[in-house]
Amino acid sequence: MTTTRRSSGPADPPSPAGSAGLSTVVSAGSPGGDGARLAGRSLLRVGPVSLLIRRRAVLVAAVLTVLLLLAVVLSLSLGTPYVAPADVLRALSGAGTPYDLVVFDLRLPRVVLAAVAGAAFGVAGTLIQSVARNPLASPDVIGITQGAGLAATVALTSGMAAVLVAPTALVGGLLAAVLLFALGARHGLAAQRFVLAGVAVAFGFRALTEVVMLTADPIDGLRAQIWLIGTLAGKGWTEAAWIAGTLLVLLPVLAWAGWALNSSALDDDTARGVGLRPVARRIGLAGTGVLVAAMVTAQVGAVDFVALVAPQVARRLVRAERPPLVCAALLGALLLVLADLAGRRLFAPTQLPAGVLTAAIGGPYLIFLLLRGRRRSS
Amino acid sequence: MLSTRDLVAGYDERTVLDGLDLDLPTDAFTVIVGPNACGKSTLLRTMARLLTPRRGTVLLDGTAIRDLPTREVARRLGVLPQSPLVPEGVTVADLVGRGRQPYQRWWRQWSSEDGAAVDQAMALADVTDLADRPVDSLSGGQRQRVWIAMTLAQDTDALLLDEPTTFLDLAHQVEVLDLLHRLRSERGRTVVAVLHDLNQAARYADHLVAMRAGAVVAAGPPREILTADLVRDVFGLACVVVPCPVTGAPLVVPAYTGGNAPAPAAASGGPVASPGGAGDPAAASAGAGDAVAASAGVKDPDSSTASVPDARPATGDAANPLAGSHPSKGL
Repeated sequence: MTTTRRSSGPADPPSPAGSAGLSTVVSAGSPGGDGARLAGRSLLRVGPVSLLIRRRAVLVAAVLTVLLLLAVVLSLSLGTPYVAPADVLRALSGAGTPYDLVVFDLRLPRVVLAAVAGAAFGVAGTLIQSVARNPLASPDVIGITQGAGLAATVALTSGMAAVLVAPTALVGGLLAAVLLFALGARHGLAAQRFVLAGVAVAFGFRALTEVVMLTADPIDGLRAQIWLIGTLAGKGWTEAAWIAGTLLVLLPVLAWAGWALNSSALDDDTARGVGLRPVARRIGLAGTGVLVAAMVTAQVGAVDFVALVAPQVARRLVRAERPPLVCAALLGALLLVLADLAGRRLFAPTQLPAGVLTAAIGGPYLIFLLLRGRRRSS
Repeated sequence: MLSTRDLVAGYDERTVLDGLDLDLPTDAFTVIVGPNACGKSTLLRTMARLLTPRRGTVLLDGTAIRDLPTREVARRLGVLPQSPLVPEGVTVADLVGRGRQPYQRWWRQWSSEDGAAVDQAMALADVTDLADRPVDSLSGGQRQRVWIAMTLAQDTDALLLDEPTTFLDLAHQVEVLDLLHRLRSERGRTVVAVLHDLNQAARYADHLVAMRAGAVVAAGPPREILTADLVRDVFGLACVVVPCPVTGAPLVVPAYTGGNAPAPAAASGGPVASPGGAGDPAAASAGAGDAVAASAGVKDPDSSTASVPDARPATGDAANPLAGSHPSKGL
């Protein structure tokens, strides 16, 4: 360590297993060994790739996946007509049942949309919270939702074709993002300024939305109102495909983000000291989060709280110092599938928009977070 | 290894450094001192490329630092900013591991070299026993050692530290400075630190840089350049400079300007100048020498330097017994 300088190349000593495909080094817990350094983490080596994986995150992700699958089956099963879970599974396996129409055409698109949208909200929330260094930050706090909401309200009250509502909302959300970055960029998108700029953008757009809604035809206003709450009713494959496509395109960025988030807790000087470019990193993380948020909001409306709650609950489940990306996505998916199911069934035949239910779940949690005191930030 | 050429830097409207040329010696412990707002932190931050200069260059081994990729700089130059933000819930080993960032990529998150470097860094900074503790549960002194361990894990030739002893009690200050000294003497690192305490600077520095108003007033070994004249020039403070009874390094004692009045007689000077030292003849005589010199300095600041030779024999004789009875913490 004293005199020799290291090259940046993959300088792992030639381990016999290292080149032979997949080898997992599980820490042994000896005092001077990997156990002390990689507390709670394992090193996953695949060829030249080595990834640090939190063991608890793997466990949480596995449990969440099982719960998500159960929720999906339950959601496909409950309703009128009731389809027994066994029949749901048989239909899904392609066996051909009398329930194929109900399962595939009526329920599956909406359930898949709920899962995909929930995951996207979880991802967006994780990225935005990490940049804002604030567990209360989410797309609807920093104005993305309001930008999409204003555009959607204009579209819905001006008699625009229905297919144009989502693209218009997307443009609105992205415009809000541009405004947010322009306002927050002066000091390198520092946490506090980022949130303050977002709150200002959110209030501005919300006020404009109210103006548009009050001057519109009452029936159009009501449609806009429902859009603003966020509902999955009448939506399905198209919306899910847009969101999933966005996530897929961003997958390389998200893989990087999962690693970059590790250093989001370092202050700028410390981060620069270890060779990071904190401003570029924040712009990358916030930009990705905002893009995902705008897309998902444009497709399903302003479903509240999933983006806020999922990252924080996932963080506590994993017991990590920052929200874990994959677990937050799974938890978001689970939350939205359950919220949509509850919205459909709780007061059946009256259907509640999923956004109402997520707010009902998220509200108490927000109070809980506030009571615990805001965590030290920036 | 670190130099500045015509460096102009500042914040917003304020220009702090205006055309600074400076060369810092390799393999030395350099300490930068100066009054508040003299630009010493700005200089350190600019050299560490935490602050972009308006004009001029910082040279790292002859290459302009802004032309080097920041990751490469991070493998050659470690930085400990002033009071860094402690990430919540991060363990010591985890934080020290962040120092390996310049060697990692998202697809290559950990190597056995990373592990070895983290182990060595924690052992050097004496934080191995704290490895699994959350950093935010540690005391100030422990935290500072953890931060230093993080920069050590970077495995750099040079280390820049901005006031690493601020907010620490005296014992912990000495502990941190001893660690930095060991890094220089045993590991051959180049260490550059901004310090507030002139006496600590004189005691630990191989090379002292005294700054005032964004300019370097003097630079060199503390025993050669640290005089009462320099302290008056730089800080505007009248003082006497006597040899430290423990190390013989220059010891700056402010002239009497207020506070508890100096005792009139040399016999009773002991308790005032060095409380608790009454029973120790060495301390009493050292105190008496200071008191005489200080009272001379009040009437005429210029004469304070003249009184130094008078004080020197007394404290010089006292050096050895004191050093024996008060090991390292008797600064």
